[in-house]
Formats: sequence, C-alpha cells, structure tokens
Amino acid sequence: MSVARRAFIQMSVGATVGILFTPTVWTALDDVSIWTQNWPWIPTLKYGEMKGVPTVSKMCESGCCVQVRTVAGEAYGVKGNPDNPLSGGACCPQCANGVQNMNNPNRIKSPMLNGEAISWEKANEVVAEKLEAAGSKVAVISGDQSGTVNEVFSALLTSKGSDAFYMMPCDMQIADKAWTGLMGGSGQIGYDFEGSDAILLAGADAMESWGSVVATRTAYAKNEVRKLIFAGPLQTKTAALASKWVPVPAEGMAAFTLGICYYVLQAGKSVGASDFDQFKSMVMSNFTPAKVEAATGVKADMMADVAKQLLAASNPVVVPGGSVAANAAAFALNLLLGTGAMKVLPEFAKGVEGAMSRSDMLKGDILQGVTADLLFVYEANPAYVLPEQLKAGFTVAFDCVNTETTAAADLVLPIPHSYERYEDTANPYGVGVATYSMGAPVSKPYLDVMPAGDFILGVADLGVETFAEVIEAKVEAVGGDMDELIEGAALVNEASASVSGVTLAATVLGKAAVPVKGTGAVSLAPYTQLVVGSANQATTPNAPAAISNNQVAIDYSLVVMMNSATAKKLGVADEAKVKLSGGNGECEAQVKIFEGVLTDTVAAPLGLGHTVGDEFSKGRGDNVYKILTVSSEAATSASTWAGSTVNVAKI
Amino acid sequence: MQTKEFKIKWGMVIDIDKCTGCGACMVGCQVENNVAPMTKTDPYNYVQALTTDRSDASDKLLTLTWMNVYELSNGKAFPEHETAYLPRPCMQCGTPACVPVCPVVATEKNEEGGIVSQVYPRCIGCRYCMAACPYHARYFNWWDPLWPEGMDKGLSPSASPRPRGVVEKCSFCHSRYLDAKDKARQDGEDPMNLPDGAYVTACTEICPNKAISFGDLNNPEHAVYELSRGKHSFRLLEKLGLAPQVYYTSEREWVRMQGDNYNADGGSH
Repeated sequence: MSVARRAFIQMSVGATVGILFTPTVWTALDDVSIWTQNWPWIPTLKYGEMKGVPTVSKMCESGCCVQVRTVAGEAYGVKGNPDNPLSGGACCPQCANGVQNMNNPNRIKSPMLNGEAISWEKANEVVAEKLEAAGSKVAVISGDQSGTVNEVFSALLTSKGSDAFYMMPCDMQIADKAWTGLMGGSGQIGYDFEGSDAILLAGADAMESWGSVVATRTAYAKNEVRKLIFAGPLQTKTAALASKWVPVPAEGMAAFTLGICYYVLQAGKSVGASDFDQFKSMVMSNFTPAKVEAATGVKADMMADVAKQLLAASNPVVVPGGSVAANAAAFALNLLLGTGAMKVLPEFAKGVEGAMSRSDMLKGDILQGVTADLLFVYEANPAYVLPEQLKAGFTVAFDCVNTETTAAADLVLPIPHSYERYEDTANPYGVGVATYSMGAPVSKPYLDVMPAGDFILGVADLGVETFAEVIEAKVEAVGGDMDELIEGAALVNEASASVSGVTLAATVLGKAAVPVKGTGAVSLAPYTQLVVGSANQATTPNAPAAISNNQVAIDYSLVVMMNSATAKKLGVADEAKVKLSGGNGECEAQVKIFEGVLTDTVAAPLGLGHTVGDEFSKGRGDNVYKILTVSSEAATSASTWAGSTVNVAKI
Repeated sequence: MQTKEFKIKWGMVIDIDKCTGCGACMVGCQVENNVAPMTKTDPYNYVQALTTDRSDASDKLLTLTWMNVYELSNGKAFPEHETAYLPRPCMQCGTPACVPVCPVVATEKNEEGGIVSQVYPRCIGCRYCMAACPYHARYFNWWDPLWPEGMDKGLSPSASPRPRGVVEKCSFCHSRYLDAKDKARQDGEDPMNLPDGAYVTACTEICPNKAISFGDLNNPEHAVYELSRGKHSFRLLEKLGLAPQVYYTSEREWVRMQGDNYNADGGSH
C-alpha cells in the first residue's frame, strides 16, 4: 500500500491534533515530574514488643546506667535506668545517642594491620609476637575510668613486669594524686550532692563535665536546700544552677581555696592532722585574703562571704576541679570544716588476680609522655588529645569507631559497642557512696568484633578464658548478685574508708598553691560540653542540633568566648576572626562576646576539630588541645593544663 | 478566639533554675521522634556533583529541633553577668495561633488532653502555621530525612518519619499518651484518669536535673497542677493570649521578665 503525499499530511496533522487533545502525554509528563521528586528511600518502622534492657553505657567518661530501648529485639534508643541510683531514670546527651553510635557507619568493621583487613587469628599472632619481643616495655592507655576491663589490662602489665598503666587525664586521677599521693589518704573521694546544704564547686564543672555527671545531677535534683556556689574562670552550664558565681582563674583555684581556709581557721576550726599547726601557720601567713587577692584577683570580701556561707551550713562540702594542688586544698578545707559530705569510699575487691589497684592505675602521668615498645590503647583517643606525648614502637588500638588514634595505630582491633558487650562500672568518681553496676549485652554484634578483654585473655595466660568470666568473678568478689545486677540494680556499699593518718600536705601545698601561669597575652579557659564531645568520645550524630553557635559557628569555625573588656583590650569585636597560639599549636576561631568569662581570659570548647571520624564530628571547629600548655605543678610534680595562656592575633 | 477547654490538659512546668542546658532533652527528643541527624550528603542523589549540599545542623535556621534550648543572659557585663537556659517544646497553646491559619486542617486542637496535632499526610507545606507561631516551635522539612547508612535500622517506633515539604513540631510524644491509655485499659483502669507519671514525654524522662515536670494541669493529683500555679510560674509571651500549656518557673526576676518580652528601657511595644 502506498501512502500518498496528501494522506501522509492528513495523518500527521491528525496525529498532532490527536496528541494535543489526548491526556496521555500530559499525564505522563505530570507523573514523571512527581515520581522523579519522590522520596528515594522510604523509612520503614519496626513494630513489636518494646523493652527497656538495662546495661551500662560507656559513651560518656563516667558511664551512664541506662536502659537500651528495643522494639522487636532491635535497639533504637536509650533512656535512664530508674532502678539504678546513678541514673535515677536520667541519662546524659552522649549516652542518649548511644544506639545511633552503635549503628554508625564509622564503626570499625574488622581487625586492621597497617590499614589492611586481617583475621582475628592473624591479629592474635601479631600481638603475641610483639608481646614476646617487648618484654616489660609494654604500656596501656585506657579511656575507661571504672570498668573491670582495666583489671585485665593491668594484670597483663603485671605479668610482663610493667606498671605503665595510664588513664586519660581525668578528675578522678587528679583527686587521687592529691588524696592518696599528697595527703596520704586511702580510698576514693566522693561527695554527697544530695545531703549537703552548701556546696562550693571550686573549679568542678560538676553539672556538665566533671566526675559522674548524671549521678551528680540526679543527686543534686533531690537536694532540698540547693545552695550552690560555683568558682571558675567561666560561667559554664553548671553556673546556671549556682546561686553565686565567683570568677577565679584556673591556676588560682588552690590559692582561692586556701584563702577560704584562712577564714575557716580564723573561725577556730581545726582538725587532728599531724601537720595541722604547720598548715595553719602556712595559710595564716602566706594565704591571707590580701595576698590571695593580689595573686588571683578574687576580692577578699568575696572569699569571706563564701567562707561565711560554708561555716553557716551544717553539712557543707567543697568539690574541686583542676590541679592537684586545688584538689588537696579543697580536701584540706573539707577536713577543716569537719563535714560529713565529703566521703571516702572503699575500693571494691578485684576480679582479676594480678590486677593493679585503682589508685595504682591512676599513678601514671600521661601528660609527661608515654614511651613503650608495645602500647595498647583501649577506647581512648590520645592521638587527638595529646599526640606529642606518645612514643610507641607498635600501637594496638581497641575501639569500636574510627578515631585519630585508630588511624595512627599499627594494629586496630574492633571491639563491640557498649550495648553489645559485658560492661561494668565500679565506683565512678564523684558519687557519694561506693557503687557497682554491670550490664550484659543487649544487641548482637553485627560486625566482626571481639571484646578487648577476650582478646587479651586469648594472648596472655591470666588464669581466665573470657571477659564474661572476669565479670562473674568481679561480681562475686564485690558480693553482688549477678541476676539483680543484670536486671539493672546497683550494688551500693555505704561503708567508708578511714581518714586516720591523713595529713594536710602543708609543705607541698604552701608551694604548689602559688598561681603560676604562662607568658601568653590572655589566659585560656578550656571547657567541655557533653553535646560537643569529650576527650574520648567525638560529637554524636544527633548532637550537632544541640550544639549552640557559641561553640561552632555556622561556617564550622571554632567559637571562643571572652568578655567585652577583654575584647576591647585585644581590639577585637564580636564575630571577629582570630588566631590563638599557645602550647605547640595554633587554632583559628571566631570571637563571641560573652560576659560570663573572667577578664583577660578566653574560653574555648574542647572536643572539636576532629580529623578522623564521621561527618558529625570531623572538620567542625578546631582542636583546642593543640594550644594547651602542659606544665609541671610546683612541688606536687604532677602535670597540669591549668595556667595555659595564649596569644591572640586578628586575622 | 475562645480557649478550647478540655477535661484533661497535658502540660509541662519547666524549672529554669534547674536547667543547665546540657542538651540531653534535645537528643532524647530526636531519637524518640525520628528526627534524622542532619547529613550534608544524600547517598541517593546520583547527581551529587550537580547539586548543592544539604543543610546541616550548624545552620540553626534550618535545623529541626522540636525541643530547643535557648541560652538566656541577664544582659549585664562581667562580673554581674548571669546565665540561664530555657528549653522550648511546642507550647500546645489553649488558643493556638497555628490552627486557624492552616488551609488544610493539618493541625488541630480537638483531642482530649489539649495536644495540638500535626497531621503530616495532610500538610501541604505552606508554612502559614510557622509564620503564625510566635514561639518558633514549628519546623519545615527542607530536606528528606536521611540517616547515615545502617543507622536507619534503629528507628523509633514512636513516630513516622516525615518527608520533605511538610511542617512538623513537638507532639508531647503523643504515641506515649496512646501507649499509656492502652496500658490503663489493659490493666482495667480508666484511661481518662491516668495517674501522675503514667504518661511523660521523652524530654521529661531523660532530664538529669528533673527540670521538667509533665502531667495534667487540670488534675490536682498531678504535680504540675500545683507547680503551674506557683508563685514564680509564668508562661512565654503570655500577653498574646495564646494560653500555652507549657509553664516555666524561676525565682530569678530577670528570667521571668524575659518570658514576656519585658522592655527594661520602656520600649514602645
């Protein structure tokens, strides 16, 4: 059949008109426009039995006693554990994001030797060989302050003839150095935040980043008097609860505390310590209010007022933060006040034979550097916090997520997340009674992981085979009931250790309490906020929404705060870009005028500026640890970051 | 507009003097209600190079924070300066400004308990409600919610995720209300007379300072009944007459004054 020209034209015109009138084309176009904009991925929710499974969450420094919320067996959220006195039903912002961290794509998926995936057998061989070769030159850095896993690591060190156990810098360590080191005490200091009727936080950011934050806050929530005085260079979040903020520079905290001791001694208080007379004459001559005012800038009448409030209370307590000297001064003040609110907790029995005592584990001074042929790092991020202090021939890093430390380590061993393993916490620092809590795994590990305890027990013969057995032994040693503990109850021991034979460290304090600061233009007041992250835990996935633009600017700049008087002196305005230099490094930052900072001081948030990690932590702000200066405290021989100064230059 | 009264009026009393602004409530809220962590890149966007990055949480204008903590300052210079923190959920107003402006009845106040609803499938994203809300409690999904790979397996069963283009807000963890009523029915109790604490929001539960109290403002057996009538209790922008069901309390006068945009310099409004 042939198509005539006319018929062809008729057909074309007819088709064109037809297409114009048919809805098919337009509907198809409409559909395309809608379907191309559709949600590419439809989230589906799981439904089923909902449970709250109790366990211990080690995201934050002290560990939170939580219930992991599961639906049809899948963990999805975290809430506090009302059956555990350390939680009282609450939890911290880091642990609240625990499940998201467990399911984070930043998890380490398998053992890695120099960047290459290897099997656990191979990892075992490598570590066994290195252990053999290293002899006693083995060291451990632990980011866990209260877990029994430290007993496994320290028993390994003991078996190798080493005592190089290091904890990441923490308040518990400083308190221990003051209490057992300088003052000859034993046990661990705790504070009664619930029962005290006047609390002086002398540098302790107790409601945000000090000690066992949630336990402290839960206890303080029950305090009926709520008299809280906060001393420090910066109005941290803790200051929002305080009835009074006393601006005191970090390096002046010990002198300030001794300045209060002056008034307390003047009121006739005394204590039966062997060096009381020496302490008294040291304070009365060297730490008179006028001298302290000259050295720290804190007004004498301010100290008199604080002393008056403490003296008027029936159960006052001074809670220190910062340097060893500041801690010792506070303990001395508590002894003078004769308070029952400073507690001395006994240590729980060990679960592993050959393990070091808590106090011995705290002796190592990581700020002075760690040198070893073989270094084990457990859930800590020393490569981020103190990169210059590490000198190891071979580093083995145990962690569940990628960090600066795992990136720099020779061998990376992925461990289960807190909710996938046995975990416990004995006597987290700051709590007023001795407590032991533990938890069994809530979720099945979905990656090729092994608990650090199991691995160590596999390479070294420490008398037990698995970490689960270690936990069992620990529970038995502390006199706990495994079933009750797994159900979420805490073992509470109200006993208190003896304070007889404790001295006031008069000789050392007399020298160590004199404020010493660096030579930079302004003092640096570093601070920690849990939403931002801590030394070992980077910002969690949902936390950035809760981080204010006073810490990270919209362009990801680090934000540093100073008061308007300081800004005027430095010639900078709000939102000015500056460069801070101190220690051995530099940080770029944006200025925020905040009147809650001591004059001549710049406050900077720790925990930002990660170079390894997920998108929620990497590349946000800058790492303030770089510009901290490590100095040796006079007479106590402890290292401290207090007294750090920086120079500020406009960009 | 007349305030709609209910037999049960769920409400909150937030003690500002107890809040440290730690952010636990904000994180707990996001997890409970499937508010996705804000990610810059979209793994399903196959033309990433041609498109701009998504917003992330450092941009506070585009961040979804059903519960948001504001920092307050007494405005004084060092050393007289004081700070306080103010957590701000949806106020669940008695006379909500958002409800009458919604052209599609996606937000209503008609359920016993007085919680202002937000029906996502109905919402057309016109954002009139956002403009109307004086508390900035409503948020628009500028981007599809995306969880990083693997994190989506742990979604909360309590709230369906919302697509981009709709407005969302705090619901006082409404599914917890339904659960509490279900439990009461199972236990043979009256779901319309829940005991204090049977239904609390995620933020109330998680706060270590116990700064948030939650309950029925009409029920004298609930702690919030007395707390909301306390000497130092106040509501935000009370003069607008929206009758919020969220109360605050603070012994500090400067904090209370900021609750109602008090102008210390005698401003004209």
